[in-house]
Amino acid sequence: MLTNIKNIFVKIIFNLCLIYSLIYFIFPSFAFERNNDWKDVLKKAYGQTIYFHAWGGAKNINSYIRWASSEVKKKYNITIKHVKVSDTANVVSKILSEKNVNKNNNGTVDLVWINGENFSLMKTNNLLFSERWIFDLPNSKFLDFSNNPSLLNDFGIPTDGMEMPWGVSQLNFYYDTKYINSPPRSALELKEYIMKNKGRFTFPQPPDFVGTSFLKQILIELISDKSLLKSKYVPHEHEKELDPLWQWLDEVTSHFWRNGKNYPSNYLAMTELVAEREIDFGMAFNIAHASNSISEGKLSNSVRSYIHKKGTLANVHFVAIPYNSSNKAASKVFVDFLISPEAQIKKQNKEFWGDPSVISINKLSQKWKKKFLMLPRGVATLTNEDLKMKLEEPHPSWVKVIEDKWIKKYGSSD
Amino acid sequence: MASIIYGQIAKIIVIFIATLAIIPIISGFFGFFLPSFGYFPILGKNEFNLNYFYLSFSIPGISKSITLSFFTGLGSTLLALFFSQVILLYLFKTRVYNYIKIIISPLLALPHITMAIGLIFIFSPSGLFFRLISPWLTEFERPPNIFIMPDDYGFFLILGLVLKEIPFFILVSLAALQEFSARKIFDLGRSLQNSNFSSWCILIFPLIYKKIRLVIFIVIAFTASVVDMSLILAPSTPSTLAIRILQTYQSSDADSLFIASNLALIQLFIIIILLLFWMILEKIVSHKLFFIFFMKILSFKIFFIKKLLFITSLIFFFLSVLGIISSLLWGFSQNWYFPNFFPKNITFDVFTNFYNENRFIIFISIFISFIVSLISSLITIIWVELIDILKIKKSFLEWIIFIPLFIPQISFLVGIQSFMIFFNFDSYLVSLIIIQLFYVIPYNFIILAPSLREIQKDLIIVATSLGKNRFQRLINIKIPIVMSSLLTSFAIGMLVSFSLYTPVYFIGAGRVTTLTVEAVNLALSGSRQDLGVATFFQILIPILILISVAYFNKKMIKWRL
Repeated sequence: MLTNIKNIFVKIIFNLCLIYSLIYFIFPSFAFERNNDWKDVLKKAYGQTIYFHAWGGAKNINSYIRWASSEVKKKYNITIKHVKVSDTANVVSKILSEKNVNKNNNGTVDLVWINGENFSLMKTNNLLFSERWIFDLPNSKFLDFSNNPSLLNDFGIPTDGMEMPWGVSQLNFYYDTKYINSPPRSALELKEYIMKNKGRFTFPQPPDFVGTSFLKQILIELISDKSLLKSKYVPHEHEKELDPLWQWLDEVTSHFWRNGKNYPSNYLAMTELVAEREIDFGMAFNIAHASNSISEGKLSNSVRSYIHKKGTLANVHFVAIPYNSSNKAASKVFVDFLISPEAQIKKQNKEFWGDPSVISINKLSQKWKKKFLMLPRGVATLTNEDLKMKLEEPHPSWVKVIEDKWIKKYGSSD
Repeated sequence: MASIIYGQIAKIIVIFIATLAIIPIISGFFGFFLPSFGYFPILGKNEFNLNYFYLSFSIPGISKSITLSFFTGLGSTLLALFFSQVILLYLFKTRVYNYIKIIISPLLALPHITMAIGLIFIFSPSGLFFRLISPWLTEFERPPNIFIMPDDYGFFLILGLVLKEIPFFILVSLAALQEFSARKIFDLGRSLQNSNFSSWCILIFPLIYKKIRLVIFIVIAFTASVVDMSLILAPSTPSTLAIRILQTYQSSDADSLFIASNLALIQLFIIIILLLFWMILEKIVSHKLFFIFFMKILSFKIFFIKKLLFITSLIFFFLSVLGIISSLLWGFSQNWYFPNFFPKNITFDVFTNFYNENRFIIFISIFISFIVSLISSLITIIWVELIDILKIKKSFLEWIIFIPLFIPQISFLVGIQSFMIFFNFDSYLVSLIIIQLFYVIPYNFIILAPSLREIQKDLIIVATSLGKNRFQRLINIKIPIVMSSLLTSFAIGMLVSFSLYTPVYFIGAGRVTTLTVEAVNLALSGSRQDLGVATFFQILIPILILISVAYFNKKMIKWRL
């Protein structure tokens, strides 16, 4: 009897050990362990310095990053150096050249703000830190990955958990209601408007991100079969699919601002042109851009935003850790802070950046839920209802083709 | 015996410094020369081929970019040289001549980009010019839909460069004028019944020209490959070759490094061709037939043209000043939009915000230029001393110092980058300072070396007889004597370093930024208010440098007496 009990006892313990080790092997991020792992990460990150390569053209975004950096400095003693980038492609080519000379640790880039074709390029060249790292971060529990597939898909490319969603953006236009009654709300209406109002429309010069996106927007509206854009661009087969875009541009380009011979360098330069009334419409990916510019005193109070009837390009922007980042732990801690409710609410606040949060309100505590719902919207920011019509980003392979062909046709007159 | 040892040590040090200087120059050169033929072993490319020339020339619009660069270099140098002489000629006999250095110093001190921004503020359709005549004259309620700048032919780029190079040519011409008895020659010309104009052209200019030839070559090389000004003033569809190199280099294509290197080599060819072309021009101008032709032209009564030229130079001067003032005003104004000629409200918010956010950048910009100029002045003094010990006359070694100014900055930096990747060099600040030295030493050398070499031998001999050794002679006699040129060269060194764009952009790689790089970024983002404040500091800092150097100069002289 006694040996029997003893046997059962041993068996139970043995089984427990087995189950436990099984759990341990299958789910390394088991809650209890995960907590410990994270403590290790925090310990490793303490006192470190990381270089965050992020587009540095907008003042409000820069000061938001500065705020986030000072918070992480206070909380975890991590120093964030914001390397202000003018074109993220440059960062990718830098990491690529580091890989080529086998600089496999201690890379110059610790964290990069990225999406779209730059991400796809990093992924195909194996320049990214391990898969699924984003799920290890404690604050990732606030993101609703299962119900929101766009958080794990970047321009149709699965992220495999190699980049953390940071914010949501949608292409939107703005105009001054004092001078224009109803703005053109489709590619065809826009063409009509441009033909009637010579010299009052322009877009940032591709390969600028917003400029290229504008071309994609027009293409999506005009292409005969939208589903083609979901798959990879096949050079000879798909070439003629771009024709509607070139036709549209052929007709309107000479009616652009400065006869289409000069373009603003980015969307911020457009704001100034709208303010001076050199042009009639501005565009941005940040849905709060017009509101921000109004509160900065750059645009008049009567400016409002709009999107096209059939919707506009929408995407998620991410942060990613390069495979040779010199300090992955500190990068993770910073990313974890960036997706915390505290950081996301500040980002969504129009006083700071106005970039919609990526976390799900339903996953938050009552206190935070309330705070998010109380957040005021800017006067010129569209409501979620207005922004309902969203267009999916084409496969990244289309971007390069559009850019190159545009530069050839309109960006380099001999 | 001792002197022989000295000589040996000096020789070793000279060779050491020369090699130290040559290594980066050569690696910078091969860094773009080899990849432009497809040779770059670390990327596993071991074969030479001409494929990349083919690829370079098939880039859309590249021939226009090349033409633009060519004519910018030629046009701006010619015009700037011409107008600098016109201005000097008109002021030579007036009282203003004595103050001319003070008048041009602030203009000289400004970074190139500040001048470019000033032009934008004046000439864009929403700029000052149209505000002045709107709406009362033109009835424009909004900026007119016209296409002025950046124009398709690069005229505004040339204008910007001309405005910036005129003060520079005036400064070097003034230095040249001091070296011969210009007044006597000029009066002689006048007494031979020549007009002011022709006396200057025939008698004085050739003498100046001989002295400033090197500087002219430097300006040609610089203007044909300028990056920062092109970003703002050059047309963008397509832009100048320098910008195309930058764009290609930044793109993430697999081949971009090779094509950018190849374009960098083409840029170097352009400069070589321009210099050869210039030398042919020199030959033509100095030819006898041309001289007769020239005399014929000068003997016409060209009063009208002369007045026109003078007025044009005045306009140039006012353009520079006005552009700068209006960009400053932007930094302190709110809602200053078309067609208001003056800002409605003045505010200091933008200023304080900018200052708070960019304090570190302002500090690091001053720090870098201070350190660079300090090291550079030291190297110049040591170099001159060493050459003196070795008694080398007109050393060809000194040409090494000027090489970096003839290789286009953008090409050199693309090349250096390849090597930085190779050596895995991580300290951005140190490498930036080292690279900046190559651009600062030549200017220090031009100013400091002649005055160090002109010290009267008697003084040195007396000092030697008093038992002072070489080091004591340098510290106690030579340096006090050349103190004022030393301070001037120090100030110029700081100004050059402060206004460098391309080296900071490339070598600093975003980790080390200076105010000049920040100002270009602001200009491209169109933020006029912040740009105005940046311009304020771009002007304030150089002027502070000049003033403090002048102050020290005064102090030092008092102390010496």
